[in-house]
Amino acid sequence: MAQQANVGELLAMLDSPMLGVRDDVTAVFKENLNSDRGPMLVNTLVDYYLETSSQPALHILTTLQEPHDKHLLDRINEYVGKAATRLSILSLLGHVIRLQPSWKHKLSQAPLLPSLLKCLKMDTDVVVLTTGVLVLITMLPMIPQSGKQHLLDFFDIFGRLSSWCLKKPGHVAEVYLVHLHASVYALFHRLYGMYPCNFVSFLRSHYSMKENLETFEEVVKPMMEHVRIHPELVTGSKDHELDPRRWKRLETHDVVIECAKISLDPTEASYEDGYSVSHQISARFPHRSADVTTSPYADTQNSYGCATSTPYSTSRLMLLNMPGQLPQTLSSPSTRLITEPPQATLWSPSMVCGMTTPPTSPGNVPPDLSHPYSKVFGTTGGKGTPLGTPATSPPPAPLCHSDDYVHISLPQATVTPPRKEERMDSARPCLHRQHHLLNDRGSEEPPGSKGSVTLSDLPGFLGDLASEEDSIEKDKEEAAISRELSEITTAEAEPVVPRGGFDSPFYRDSLPGSQRKTHSAASSSQGASVNPEPLHSSLDKLGPDTPKQAFTPIDLPCGSADESPAGDRECQTSLETSIFTPSPCKIPPPTRVGFGSGQPPPYDHLFEVALPKTAHHFVIRKTEELLKKAKGNTEEDGVPSTSPMEVLDRLIQQGADAHSKELNKLPLPSKSVDWTHFGGSPPSDEIRTLRDQLLLLHNQLLYERFKRQQHALRNRRLLRKVIKAAALEEHNAAMKDQLKLQEKDIQMWKVSLQKEQARYNQLQEQRDTMVTKLHSQIRQLQHDREEFYNQSQELQTKLEDCRNMIAELRIELKKANNKVCHTELLLSQVSQKLSNSESVQQQMEFLNRQLLVLGEVNELYLEQLQNKHSDTTKEVEMMKAAYRKELEKNRSHVLQQTQRLDTSQKRILELESHLAKKDHLLLEQKKYLEDVKLQARGQLQAAESRYEAQKRITQVFELEILDLYGRLEKDGLLKKLEEEKAEAAEAAEERLDCCNDGCSDSMVGHNEEASGHNGETKTPRPSSARGSSGSRGGGGSSSSSSELSTPEKPPHQRAGPFSSRWETTMGEASASIPTTVGSLPSSKSFLGMKARELFRNKSESQCDEDGMTSSLSESLKTELGKDLGVEAKIPLNLDGPHPSPPTPDSVGQLHIMDYNETHHEHS
Amino acid sequence: MTEDSQRNFRSVYYEKVGFRGVEEKKSLEILLKDDRLDTEKLCTFSQRFPLPSMYRALVWKVLLGILPPHHESHAKVMMYRKEQYLDVLHALKVVRFVSDATPQAEVYLRMYQLESGKLPRSPSFPLEPDDEVFLAIAKAMEEMVEDSVDCYWITRRFVNQLNTKYRDSLPQLPKAFEQYLNLEDGRLLTHLRMCSAAPKLPYDLWFKRCFAGCLPESSLQRVWDKVVSGSCKILVFVAVEILLTFKIK
Repeated sequence: MAQQANVGELLAMLDSPMLGVRDDVTAVFKENLNSDRGPMLVNTLVDYYLETSSQPALHILTTLQEPHDKHLLDRINEYVGKAATRLSILSLLGHVIRLQPSWKHKLSQAPLLPSLLKCLKMDTDVVVLTTGVLVLITMLPMIPQSGKQHLLDFFDIFGRLSSWCLKKPGHVAEVYLVHLHASVYALFHRLYGMYPCNFVSFLRSHYSMKENLETFEEVVKPMMEHVRIHPELVTGSKDHELDPRRWKRLETHDVVIECAKISLDPTEASYEDGYSVSHQISARFPHRSADVTTSPYADTQNSYGCATSTPYSTSRLMLLNMPGQLPQTLSSPSTRLITEPPQATLWSPSMVCGMTTPPTSPGNVPPDLSHPYSKVFGTTGGKGTPLGTPATSPPPAPLCHSDDYVHISLPQATVTPPRKEERMDSARPCLHRQHHLLNDRGSEEPPGSKGSVTLSDLPGFLGDLASEEDSIEKDKEEAAISRELSEITTAEAEPVVPRGGFDSPFYRDSLPGSQRKTHSAASSSQGASVNPEPLHSSLDKLGPDTPKQAFTPIDLPCGSADESPAGDRECQTSLETSIFTPSPCKIPPPTRVGFGSGQPPPYDHLFEVALPKTAHHFVIRKTEELLKKAKGNTEEDGVPSTSPMEVLDRLIQQGADAHSKELNKLPLPSKSVDWTHFGGSPPSDEIRTLRDQLLLLHNQLLYERFKRQQHALRNRRLLRKVIKAAALEEHNAAMKDQLKLQEKDIQMWKVSLQKEQARYNQLQEQRDTMVTKLHSQIRQLQHDREEFYNQSQELQTKLEDCRNMIAELRIELKKANNKVCHTELLLSQVSQKLSNSESVQQQMEFLNRQLLVLGEVNELYLEQLQNKHSDTTKEVEMMKAAYRKELEKNRSHVLQQTQRLDTSQKRILELESHLAKKDHLLLEQKKYLEDVKLQARGQLQAAESRYEAQKRITQVFELEILDLYGRLEKDGLLKKLEEEKAEAAEAAEERLDCCNDGCSDSMVGHNEEASGHNGETKTPRPSSARGSSGSRGGGGSSSSSSELSTPEKPPHQRAGPFSSRWETTMGEASASIPTTVGSLPSSKSFLGMKARELFRNKSESQCDEDGMTSSLSESLKTELGKDLGVEAKIPLNLDGPHPSPPTPDSVGQLHIMDYNETHHEHS
Repeated sequence: MTEDSQRNFRSVYYEKVGFRGVEEKKSLEILLKDDRLDTEKLCTFSQRFPLPSMYRALVWKVLLGILPPHHESHAKVMMYRKEQYLDVLHALKVVRFVSDATPQAEVYLRMYQLESGKLPRSPSFPLEPDDEVFLAIAKAMEEMVEDSVDCYWITRRFVNQLNTKYRDSLPQLPKAFEQYLNLEDGRLLTHLRMCSAAPKLPYDLWFKRCFAGCLPESSLQRVWDKVVSGSCKILVFVAVEILLTFKIK
């Protein structure tokens, strides 16, 4: 509650006169709204607004943000249901909606919409209805897609309200109806623009009913006169219209403009594009058609485009009804066209058309003197073509010839001056302007300045309509223009300065005056110059117009410019044009625009950018609105086909006039006071109606403002497009330049290419010539070559022929040589033969001679033979027989010989084989002999060993014997004791010696002794033993000793050998003792025998020796037996055999090996 | 081949079963059949195999050169040997060195002395060491060979061989004995040396007398087969073996 109280306080403070407090409070509210999401604050604000209708509250409510919209709408919905607050809440809604809050799309879903529609269907209060309809119209473009659900509601409302207009249920003031009608008209436009198919079908169904027919006739039909056929009727369908996709692309202002496009009502219509042209043309054509259809102007018009002309013929015809609009339409489209050339998208010539309006303008706006200027400016400032076209087009309007600007203007000027000085003033600037324009492009300001002056004034007149910014801009412009003007000639400046400087009522005053004057002048001039018919019309209108001029001075003081024109209703059609168009205020926009568009590209966009376009448009808009209102006023006059808007405008004008009159009548300062002052209380009803009217007016105004804003939005977008287009143009130009440059390049390249080609061709030709030359050369050379080749071939064939010939010749030569050789050979042979034959012949001769000789001899012998033939034959036969025998003998002998030879050979072979056998045998024999020898040796060795053993035995025996002897002598013989002893000693010594010498020595010694014994063994018996012993000694001492011993002991012959043996064996010792020798034979009888046996045995074993020894012994015996005394012989004999004993030994030893020797010896 | 064909086909099996000597006898007979006896073959045979006792005397006589290789002259040569033996014996008897009572070995000794000219003046003279060796051998030989002539001759030649052929090698035998003993049983040798028994071993008995009187004649025959055939090293092995066998005991 505290908060509520707080809120209440704040709300109270909201309307405080203190600006700071107000701002603070609004800020607090906004903060609260941002923080608090509840509906309370909004509700209180709405309540507060409904109570007080305070502006700050309204401001806060209109700027509500998203979360609060629902509360607001709920609250509004709530209040809409209550009849008491309906009006105010609807106005609040209108305020809210017009600002297009961000949540506007929610409106379609909000419950408010159905309730609003319901209210519109149910309510009977005109004011409420009008307000609601306006709100609805405003709302519709924002929620186009909602039409699906509420379309029928809309249509129902339309139907109801349209019937309302006619039926006037209850006691509705006529004044209200005008407002209502206007709003219904707007609704009609909106619905038709948005949902044409549905709407048309609705109209068809709704007004086909009889009860509605009247309404249709009275209300709807006139409305339909102000619209064209919607293209959607042709292309679209009911469903397509309601398709949300269709609306998605379009913004609110797009929708608004769409709706405006199909409008033919100048107050409603949009002049953006082709339509506007059509308007213009159509607006123009009424005059044309009205004037002379055969005029060349029509040709030009047709030439511009029959397409445009035909479709608008109808509209043209329609427009014929309201010629008063023409100038307006003319002016406005022209401006539009020029200001927005890119917008003329229908076809480009139309733009040109717009440029070339001058030709038409004279016809169109004959009353305007300034108009031509503007058009001309536009054209002159523009391209060359416009200049040309006017030239062609002029015939109907010679004034508009480009060259005749001045002339045109001058006549006008000359015409005008007589009327008024002001007119001169206005004309002069025009002239100046022209000059400036002609001389200097940049000096287009002067007219602008004028325009600006008037423009800046207009807002002043209009009051509310002019915004602060605009005025500021205007002021600025004014200052700039004044500066420029001052810079220009002083003469020119003079008239300007007072105007610019004044800005006073006087000036204002002058303007309308001038306007009027100009208007009249123009009309007069126009009428005089070209068209009698328009003149008439204008004159007709001028007529009623004049009285109105009287009002104008009255208007001035009150300061509302629009009211003054609005006031004079009679001269509406002509006047309105005269009011605006001829006046400087009307002129500047076109001129400026003309400059803007007409200027060469470089300045063009700069200008556009530089200049405050919006202001510009705003001005145009204002003028339009003014015109509309003017029209509206005029419409009120009762022209049935006039649009409700115009009617409304007119009503307002009237009201204003009345009001002003009343006020003028009353010297009282204020109206209310007036009423009171009048005495009678002001009729409450009147006041109420007035208030309502005011409210309605306000609503209307707000609606228009909304439209204006939409247009502004639109314009902004269009401007952007313009800039873009300009940039593109610039780009295009740059591209063109580049293109040119490139073309130049291309040209250069082409030229160079041509050169190159020429050069190439030249070179080619050269080459060709060269090639041909070379070819010819080659051909020639080839020809030569072939010739040479042929020649060489021929020569070669010749050569071959020659060679063949040579070969043949050679062969022949060889043959010839062969032949020669052969013949030589033959020759030699022949010569040989010849020589042979010669020799043979010689021999033959020789032989012949011999033959002859022999023949002779033969003859001789024959003779002799014949003589001796008998004797010789026997002898010869004998001899032959002898020879034969002998031959046979020899042959047999030979045979024998050969046989012998064979036998001998066989014998030889046999002998040889025998020899081989013998050899073999010999070898075998030898082997055998060897074998035998070995065997014999073995036996021999055994025998030898036996012999050795025997020797040892004998030695032992001898030893024993000697020992025994020694004993005997010891025992028996005393004398011989010593000797015996000595002998024993010797024996011992000898034995010792033997032992010392060894077996071999002893053996050798024994052998020698044995040989000695052999010799002695034969000797013992013969007496010549001495000799033998002596011989045994071999001379020397031994023989002497034996000789010595022999004399001593001859009987002991046998002992001798023993002693001698002993002597020899004992060496020198025996020689010293000869006695011992002598004693031996005595004791040897037995031993000797034994020894003899032993020796015998041995000798027997050696038979060969035996043989020898026996032979020796025999020879010895014989010798011994002859004579002992023959000692001399003995030694000789002995000498003979003496050397032999060794020889037999040696022979015996060799015997074994050699048989031949033995044989020899034996033999 | 003829030899092989003549040989017993069972010879292979004999050897396998262990009957040695059967084949040896046969082969020896084959050897002895040759007219001219091949002493070398006989040597190798006797060295390899033990001689059959029936042929031992003959083989020994042939090997010792008592009989010539020719069979023809065997009888004659044998007669010579016998005569010689008788002569010498007669001579000894004549000189009264020998009587019927004198033992045969001594007779052989005297005969040997006589034939080598070493007969002492009197039988009573003391015997020299060589004579002792001869006596021992003769005694052993007396047991082996029945015929006195053969015995005398074999003994004489055997001793002669020892004195001539083995004169150089006999003194080396003790060294060889030690060497082989070292190889066979080094410990024993060291032991012998330790107890200084090595030099006191009966080398004379073993090597000079060729184990005569040391071993029984049956085994001595085998040893002497080798000695006769020209290998005195058998003595060393026999000695080593004796030591080893007795070491085991």
